[in-house]
Amino acid sequence: MGLHAYLTLSALVFAIGLFGVLTRRNAIGILLGIELMLNAVNINLVAFSRFTGDLGGLVFSLFTISITVAEVALGLAIVIVIFRVRKTVEADRLDLLRG
Amino acid sequence: MTASPFVLEIGLAALFLIVFFANLATTRADRRHLGWLAFFGVAALTVVSMTLAPTAPALGGAFVLDGLAIFAKRLFLAATAIGILSGLAAPETPFLRRSGEYHLLMLSSLLGMLVLASARDLILLFVAFELMSLPLYALAGFLKRDEASVEAALKFFLVGSVSSAIMVYGLSFVYGAARTTSLTGTAKAFAAGEPLVTLGLLIAFAGFGFKIAAFPFHMWVPDTYEAASTPFVAWLSVAPKAAGFVALFRVYFEGVGERVVYWLPVMAALATITILAGNLMALPQQNVKRLLAYSGIAHIGYLLVGLAAASAAGTAMVLFYLVAYVFGNMGAFLVVEAVTRSEGSEHVSAFRGLAQRSPLLALAMLLFLLSLGGIPFVAGFWAKLYVFWAAAQQGLYWLVLVGAVLTVVALFYYLLIAKRMYIEPPDRPAPVLVAPTLAVSVVLCLIGIVALGVWPKGVVMAALRVAAPLF
Repeated sequence: MGLHAYLTLSALVFAIGLFGVLTRRNAIGILLGIELMLNAVNINLVAFSRFTGDLGGLVFSLFTISITVAEVALGLAIVIVIFRVRKTVEADRLDLLRG
Repeated sequence: MTASPFVLEIGLAALFLIVFFANLATTRADRRHLGWLAFFGVAALTVVSMTLAPTAPALGGAFVLDGLAIFAKRLFLAATAIGILSGLAAPETPFLRRSGEYHLLMLSSLLGMLVLASARDLILLFVAFELMSLPLYALAGFLKRDEASVEAALKFFLVGSVSSAIMVYGLSFVYGAARTTSLTGTAKAFAAGEPLVTLGLLIAFAGFGFKIAAFPFHMWVPDTYEAASTPFVAWLSVAPKAAGFVALFRVYFEGVGERVVYWLPVMAALATITILAGNLMALPQQNVKRLLAYSGIAHIGYLLVGLAAASAAGTAMVLFYLVAYVFGNMGAFLVVEAVTRSEGSEHVSAFRGLAQRSPLLALAMLLFLLSLGGIPFVAGFWAKLYVFWAAAQQGLYWLVLVGAVLTVVALFYYLLIAKRMYIEPPDRPAPVLVAPTLAVSVVLCLIGIVALGVWPKGVVMAALRVAAPLF
């Protein structure tokens, strides 16, 4: 399989993630979508690294993975705080701020 | 002996650890002394940054301390020092009991900005960018029992992490086509017209656009600004934006040579819609913080005008504009903090008759508004004039025209606040009580915009000097 197959796969995963972010109403669902988008990045980086023989991409993907973990940990913390205060994590019901 | 290029980063990391352990060692409930510790540390680092001179690139060219980095770091440190000082008087219990965490988050975000200004490698740039952004989400929801504050944090977090995912997706293409993570290498690949690099940079621009809050990526701004604590917002509205612009210079301009004009139409289009949208949406706002949020979006548009010039002069004028914007916008938010603390309302009517109640505070607000509006002899006037001049040099006359017309619209809503302060009678006669630390921060911002307004030459020359090597 060539590089293009991997790039197509990552584009698909990215698109599915973005679709999830835009259509999900639940904050956890949106977080899952963001995870998919970041995993698409990792597929890209590792595939480029494999086919160009440059190790930078592997290092880059390790950093992306660890930063993703930090991001999701913070996101879940915010979701827990918001559930305690508001008793909901549905994005549609979080509408105090507008205008 | 020349100083290490990492002196500021090492100093800040040491300060972070000191505050961290001091936080562990404190047993009493009132922990505001940690804020003072952080303030004096950052102020000391600001002084150190003034003595720095450019050094050779370190870490195999991934980390540079050139003129641009030093200029940017001075700005970040000064803005953060004022930001910490202004927040010290906040009376809510979380700021007393959790002062350690609050300032640690601010310091780690500042560390991200300092590294970002020096990063000349995609990996370091991405890590620094996230180190700057992640603490901001937590800080936005710092009042975690407050319904609006946590909602703002969630919105900020979701929009922020989606756009950083899009950014790093773009950067992965840049890496793949350039076959290197070094920005020097990617700039060469872009200059050679590699299509995948261009595509990746265009995708990545969405992420940067979010951080600087350019038009289609601005939705988080008004909500976050309205609900988060005002001294934090004053800092959030300037320091991360300035960092975003420095990252834009590094990724999009540095070392690409003639091909830099490729960005001219992209930036010009974005500048136009950002100025239009920011100013027009600011018009109907009755909440002062939302009004300043939309006017801040418009200012990003003016900064993009300088970027659209895609020249050394344009970049330098963006740097000057950033300095003027940091002091003017922070100052305005800090006066809003003083007034809303005393009146308990963020509605513009809270400013009624302020000139009779607290003439000095009203005068300070007037000067900040005039600076933001671009009236002569305060910093904002020169800033606007210079970015327009840089754009006109590139023949972008229509952009200058749009900008100038919309400046008049902006003056209208700025002067509506001035009218409330100076013409309408006050609801009650008592002067507005301002906490001493807040007053000092306002005065520092005031000195900044008046000094820049009377004598802009020093900073303009410095900005021109540091921008020249980029092209």
